[in-house]
Amino acid sequence: MDVALLEELALTGALVGTMYGLVALGIVLIYKTSGTANFAQGAIAMMGAYVTWAFATWAGLPTWLAAVAAVTVMFGFGVLVERILLRRMIGQPVIMILLLTFGLEVFLRSAAPGLLGSTIKRLDFGIPQAPVFIGDVLINRAYLIGGGISAALIIVAAVLFSSRLGILMRAVADDQGASWSVGIRVERAIATAWGLAAITATAAGALWGSMQGVSWSLSLLLVKALAIAILGGLDSVPGVLVASAFVGVCEGLATGIIDPLIGGGTRDIVASVIIIVTLLVRPYGLFGQEQIERI
Amino acid sequence: MMFYRRSGILHLDYRSERQLWPLRFDRFLVATVIALLLAAPLIVNRLYLVAYLVPWLIWSSATLGLNLLMGWAGQVHLGYGAVMAIGAYTSVHLVRFGAPLELAMLAGGVASAAIGVVFGAAALRIKSLYLAMATIAMQYIIDFAIIHLPGVSGGVLASIQVPPVRFLGLQIEGDLSAYYMAFFVCAMIALFLLNVDRTAFGRALAAVRERDFAAEIIGIDTFKYKLLAFWASSFIGGVVGCVLVVCYLRTVSPDQFHLDLSIQILAMVLLGGLGSVLGSFFGAGLVLFTPIVLNVVIGAAAVRFGFQIDADLKAHLPLMLYGTLIVAFLSIEPLGLAKVYGNVRNYFLLWPFRTART
Amino acid sequence: MKLTRRAFLATAIAIPTIGLRPAAADERVIRFGMPQDFTKIYTFLAAEYSQGQLDYFSLVNGRGGVNGYKIVADVSDSANEIPRAIETYERLKREGMVLIDPLSTPVARALVPRVLEDKINLVTAFSGRSDAADGSVFPYVMPLSPNYWTQAGLIVDFFRQQDRDLRGKKIVLVHLDTPFGKEPIPILQTLGQKLGYRFSTFPYAPPGNDQAAVWPQVRRAKADWIIFWGAGVGQSSSLSEAIRNGIALDRMCSSVWLSESDMDVVGKGAAKGVLKFEPCGSGRGPKIIADIVREVAGKGLGAGSEAKIGTAYYNYGVMMAAIMVEGVRAAFAKSPKGPITGPWLNEGLTSITDFTAEGLLPAMTVTKQDHQGGGRGRIARWDGEKFVPQTDWFSANQDVVWAEIMKSSEAFKTTGQ
Repeated sequence: MDVALLEELALTGALVGTMYGLVALGIVLIYKTSGTANFAQGAIAMMGAYVTWAFATWAGLPTWLAAVAAVTVMFGFGVLVERILLRRMIGQPVIMILLLTFGLEVFLRSAAPGLLGSTIKRLDFGIPQAPVFIGDVLINRAYLIGGGISAALIIVAAVLFSSRLGILMRAVADDQGASWSVGIRVERAIATAWGLAAITATAAGALWGSMQGVSWSLSLLLVKALAIAILGGLDSVPGVLVASAFVGVCEGLATGIIDPLIGGGTRDIVASVIIIVTLLVRPYGLFGQEQIERI
Repeated sequence: MMFYRRSGILHLDYRSERQLWPLRFDRFLVATVIALLLAAPLIVNRLYLVAYLVPWLIWSSATLGLNLLMGWAGQVHLGYGAVMAIGAYTSVHLVRFGAPLELAMLAGGVASAAIGVVFGAAALRIKSLYLAMATIAMQYIIDFAIIHLPGVSGGVLASIQVPPVRFLGLQIEGDLSAYYMAFFVCAMIALFLLNVDRTAFGRALAAVRERDFAAEIIGIDTFKYKLLAFWASSFIGGVVGCVLVVCYLRTVSPDQFHLDLSIQILAMVLLGGLGSVLGSFFGAGLVLFTPIVLNVVIGAAAVRFGFQIDADLKAHLPLMLYGTLIVAFLSIEPLGLAKVYGNVRNYFLLWPFRTART
Repeated sequence: MKLTRRAFLATAIAIPTIGLRPAAADERVIRFGMPQDFTKIYTFLAAEYSQGQLDYFSLVNGRGGVNGYKIVADVSDSANEIPRAIETYERLKREGMVLIDPLSTPVARALVPRVLEDKINLVTAFSGRSDAADGSVFPYVMPLSPNYWTQAGLIVDFFRQQDRDLRGKKIVLVHLDTPFGKEPIPILQTLGQKLGYRFSTFPYAPPGNDQAAVWPQVRRAKADWIIFWGAGVGQSSSLSEAIRNGIALDRMCSSVWLSESDMDVVGKGAAKGVLKFEPCGSGRGPKIIADIVREVAGKGLGAGSEAKIGTAYYNYGVMMAAIMVEGVRAAFAKSPKGPITGPWLNEGLTSITDFTAEGLLPAMTVTKQDHQGGGRGRIARWDGEKFVPQTDWFSANQDVVWAEIMKSSEAFKTTGQ
């Protein structure tokens, strides 16, 4: 076993995993406030990437400025989605809302390439491509920077959640009626959560778009994000950081160790297997809270 | 009211009261539809038979299977494509080994049920949200397993042709026999689902669907019934997978059973109406024919009104409409097309009188 | 915005009625069906390919058609879904289609039994069943292009020409983990035994946007030559990852599926040096392309944006369309009175001899036994602006390729698989 190769794979894997984690962050944010998972998160990330590209190409903004502009626009988009679509669904069973987000995902996945062109688009943040070497281990510079940014954003989110806004959201998630009675603006909290989720999705989309080009395939980030969210606990933000590194490392090592034995493609199902194993062993994830249902 | 005569219908025993269709007009409608479907090869030309009716029947059967789990039992399954894949591959391999088709079909169903239940059991004890994710995971894992086990998928070129088979004595060759086989299987499944509510199983499912902890309190083992529903639904999925491959596709390859198929059938269930047999047929028809209708409409609009849509947009419009329909139906009419039909029927039940408005 | 149920339903019922149109009867047409995948897997390719085909047909029709007959191409989106494709196939069959080009391997495979029964020509450009080159077993399946096995054989031969002797060298295949990606493996293994190089594979999960774990391994394998076999986003990701891992691009070669848009995503300058297999001329140089620019796009009759004319996939579309039209011409030469049917066109297609489409293709000859057309191509290198051919048109290792083709078509003959 080539130890240096394993080190490389693990390190790259952790960085890549953190970038997936950025999408998972949005799922966790929405779950914390609304109690549903958002299956459209991957598609929103894809949309964020497309919007960034649109700003960069049509408005001619430098890429980083386009990203900022996109983030602002997508915040509004997230709030709009919550206001128009989810407001009607208050009181409906969770599954209905889940499937609604599914429908939204299908729509966005086709609308973005349909309206903006289906060829792969280039998003260039000016990140140099030359690799960084630590001894014999090669670190992908692009992933280093991307992973760094993602980790930073997740930590910011964790800090945010111990602030007043975070406590507000936790209160709303716990009991909406009680929140109303103490004067918390519940609708506003939920809308803010959706807006924030859209922001993280856009950041993730822009980062991934710069790595692999902007196309519909960005919406496939969803499954990895789901795996991370479940493993870390659907309502735990620090859990996202830990779980994302774990999932990333597992994927990298699986490709290195198991692929030569089986003949390829294990990376695909690492996320799925993690989901199943987590559900069997510890359904609420590493850091999630056990839900006790009261009759 | 002139069609739906309710006056004069008096029930003298429980049996007649529990008929599926107490109104004569309803029975007449059902009989007409069945007669039309049986005589279809004589009435419609071969194109419509092969391209529209057969897929509609097969997809309706699949929708009925998923509806059993989602509408009757109130669970969720986002990996139904994988279930159908297991059934399809199992039955084709058995047939190639020499087993009779009827046995292979049932074996395919059992295989789907057995494997599906393993994944379902993992998540049935916790919130339905986790069941959704477990079934997505199942979809991907089964996809992977099929592609990577050459024994299953048939090697690098990965597409297995269905050999000539006989079903209940009928040689399945050409379009006619395929149509009747699909019709027969669909009728059996529909019959089962129409009668589920009248059985103890169906009543238990209803209790579990409405309030599972309340059901637990009155003594119904919710886990057992959820698992049973999963088993039955996966069995139907496996059988339908076999029918799909034998009657329609004639070859089986992994590309046909990806997440897209699961989403498609899910959309059919939702748009048709959870818990409704008629709705399953409507939903299947809507999702199947929307892209076709859309293509024709756009083509005609381009000709008549002379405007051209960008090729990219044109290509993506069916999917966009799909997604919009799902979102629209879920927000506006969550009970789907079946409810719409129900509203129309209620209107005609009382016509020319109106329903009381509060 | 009050979306009442009534309004919603009324609109839903009204829309399909717009679609009723009278059937137009036009006798002097030859119908080709093109239910291609614009939205699912082949998105990266279908739009430009289709544009190329349509533009070529416009060129031909603008010059009076073939023998006074216009070519009509019925383009629609199959979304790689077999039911949709079958529905389109049956509908177009009724309208008298004589040739169908699905540009999708799963769809082509599903249509094979049907076209053999209905005697309609199924064109499987660069895709479909590689063994369909054997015309004796698949009379109505026409690849009319170098299949993946030929491409692999040609690429290895190019490496041999560069290195003079491949003995002891290491060749790796980085490929999409799908049947498409695995296709060249048997050929590359056989050639490895014959020419003495060591061969290993590195698959990556579809669609190939995430190859972060594969390329570190490729780097450590210290290969002499790398063949990468992906599609769409997989290709650009492969190149980006290779650059990020410090691998030299001029030792990497791809199948046909590499184009200017992939170069755009990676960065035109950054991708300098990478090689690809070319089945036809690229850019706007070839005479036919220049004709199209003048007579079709110049008159505003183009099927898409003018910027795309001359890109790799556009030219593939023109190439296939040119071969199809040449088949029509040859069919008219053989039986000028028609009638226009599948078998009639099949006669024409299988009698194409030394066809170069005015310099766009290597000389291609199709016979009843060889539906591939000779299997010629060349290797081209990206120089930062365009693809520059590195060799002449050549064909190589066809013996190994045909051995594989015959093996597979035999299996089809006996088992129907």
